[in-house]
Amino acid sequence: MKRFLEKLAEGALLLSGSITSITILLIVLFLFKEASGLFRSPVIEEGYVIALNKANTVKSLSSYEIKEIFDGEISNWAELGGKDEAIEVVRLSDLTNYYTEEELGAEFENIPAKASELTASHPGIVLFLPKQYLAKKFDGITLDKETIHPGDFFGGKEWYPTASPSAQFGLLPLLLGTLWVSLGAILLSLPFGIAVAVYLAEIATMRVRNILKPIIELLAGIPSVVYGFFGLVVLVPFLQKIFQLPVGETALAGSVVLAIMALPTIITVAEDAMRTTPRAMKEASLALGATHWQTIYKVIIPYSKSGITSAAVLGIGRAIGETMAVLMVTGNAAVIPHTLLEPVRTIPATIAAELGEAASGSAHYQALFALGCILFLITMVLSISVEFISKKQK
Amino acid sequence: MLTVEAKNVDFYYSDFHALKNISLEVEKNKVVAFIGPSGCGKSTFLRILNRMNDLIDGTRMTGSVLIEGEDIYAPNVRVDELRKKVGMVFQKPNPFPKTIFENIAYGLRVNGIKDNSFIEQRVEESLKSAALWDEVKDKLKKSAFALSGGQQQRLCIARALAISPKVVLMDEPASALDPISTAKIEELIYELKKDYTIIIVTHNMQQASRVSDKTAYFYLGELIEYDDTTKIFTNPQKESTQNYITGRFG
Ligand SMILES: Nc1ncnc2c1ncn2[C@@H]1O[C@H](COP(=O)(O)OP(=O)(O)OP(=O)(O)O)[C@@H](O)[C@H]1O
Ligand SMILES: [Mg+2]
Repeated sequence: MKRFLEKLAEGALLLSGSITSITILLIVLFLFKEASGLFRSPVIEEGYVIALNKANTVKSLSSYEIKEIFDGEISNWAELGGKDEAIEVVRLSDLTNYYTEEELGAEFENIPAKASELTASHPGIVLFLPKQYLAKKFDGITLDKETIHPGDFFGGKEWYPTASPSAQFGLLPLLLGTLWVSLGAILLSLPFGIAVAVYLAEIATMRVRNILKPIIELLAGIPSVVYGFFGLVVLVPFLQKIFQLPVGETALAGSVVLAIMALPTIITVAEDAMRTTPRAMKEASLALGATHWQTIYKVIIPYSKSGITSAAVLGIGRAIGETMAVLMVTGNAAVIPHTLLEPVRTIPATIAAELGEAASGSAHYQALFALGCILFLITMVLSISVEFISKKQK
Repeated sequence: MLTVEAKNVDFYYSDFHALKNISLEVEKNKVVAFIGPSGCGKSTFLRILNRMNDLIDGTRMTGSVLIEGEDIYAPNVRVDELRKKVGMVFQKPNPFPKTIFENIAYGLRVNGIKDNSFIEQRVEESLKSAALWDEVKDKLKKSAFALSGGQQQRLCIARALAISPKVVLMDEPASALDPISTAKIEELIYELKKDYTIIIVTHNMQQASRVSDKTAYFYLGELIEYDDTTKIFTNPQKESTQNYITGRFG
């Protein structure tokens, strides 16, 4: 009977372990499946088509090129490897510049024919047209099968998911925003965190430590929105004033808030590592006439090097995934940052802010999942490296 | 000339009275052995001599300890300077996770010595005095952990000698070692007493009688008897000492 119960308990434990693993695996699979849809989404806004003159040697346009054309940044086909011919951008509303309203018909019933005619007669044309106005026998090249290229996502410098005619899903500004904010956070929190860890592990008396340690651990439990509030109300105006900025919501504000949030992790992990320094090592050092400080930086810190590295990596991990507080204080401008004093937008903040307005299954929606995958990969690399570092320690 | 002079030392771990009114003198270039049953306070007393007990919270000491005539518990004493004068070898070999060379150079470096040729010379001299030079001279850049236990302990002795202490305290330095390594350490102690004053804690009666000039017998925190080693082992004055050395208890 007892044996049977033991077997049962064993089975239950195994089951819960497998269920957890499978659930996580399914979540990851779902994430990647949704994300991969991005590269099958059309470059051009749903329901529209871009048409070129059939003599045009340019046969395909990337998402970024379309945007540049419609923004007037690219004005000659030669820039895209075509003939030397000025680009002539024509939207549906521009048709009235070429034809009178009578010619287009009272119910616009002539638009398909006229659009076809216009395309055929203008060698430099790029026509942006709703699919419903595309003539059966359209006289020109239509670009409607183009899908978003991985290069547009991974190498894209602009994130502008509602741009027309071609939404921009460039990863770079968000990735860089995330990295800048996290890097700033770690640069601020690591020296301070290690200093506090050294103090707690080596200098503080038992009484002080017994008071400080629970307070620091409590900091880890404060909801991130509260940190965000603090950042918004105190830090942002402060930074704006100090650096004379137009807006105080900057990468730096995000870094400072994240640094405060990452501190408890860094302090706890680094302190634990320092405490594992064998007493015999410390005594050996002191017995040789080393001072307490010499013992700290010549024995204790080298001995807990890998623990301190783990602390740093875990701190970065916390910073990279953090959403709410960062969303509140970084200003959320999706531009590639050049200094810490500019507004930035991070990956988690983007997902949180935009998922609500992205239509399910749209390219925008899938792009947000792709961002999720990137975030997942970053944190996975971080946790694998923590694993690796702590293995090396043993 | 007295190297160590302890007067009326009482020592407490919080409320535990670990040493009771100990007075003891050690002459220069002598080897003194501390013996006594486990828990009688030998290590505690040894660690009083280089103020290692300062590291333990809640301890308290009264009485005085002079080393070369200087009160080491006086308020203006720098503990790190004291420990340069009074070296220590621990029961379990405790080399640093560094190279053999760096283990020995450590004490010199924390002393602010930067002259590399001097450091190299001291490393060689110390390893020679610890009778380890021939075994390690070709692998000074190897990790100290690659040595055997006995070699590690001699490395720790060399490390203590490198900073030229006046007194070397050894807390059961051979208890974790095999008989051959133990014999080597004993030979070494015999050699070292030319230059150093040595205090050694041991549970091994033969060892105490072989290496020491004087022997102190501790029991339950008290110094029961302290005399020439030959006298302690042939004609002890106290019954308790007699019982202990003949192995009737402890
Ligand atoms: N850190 C400490 N805190 C409290 N009590 C201690 C501490 N260290 C030692 N003691 C106590 O003080 C007494 C003397 O200990 P000590 O280590 O000096 O004995 P010892 O003679 O060296 O014994 P052994 O031969 O086993 O090494 C023991 O009763 C021990 O329990
Ligand atoms: Mg002991």
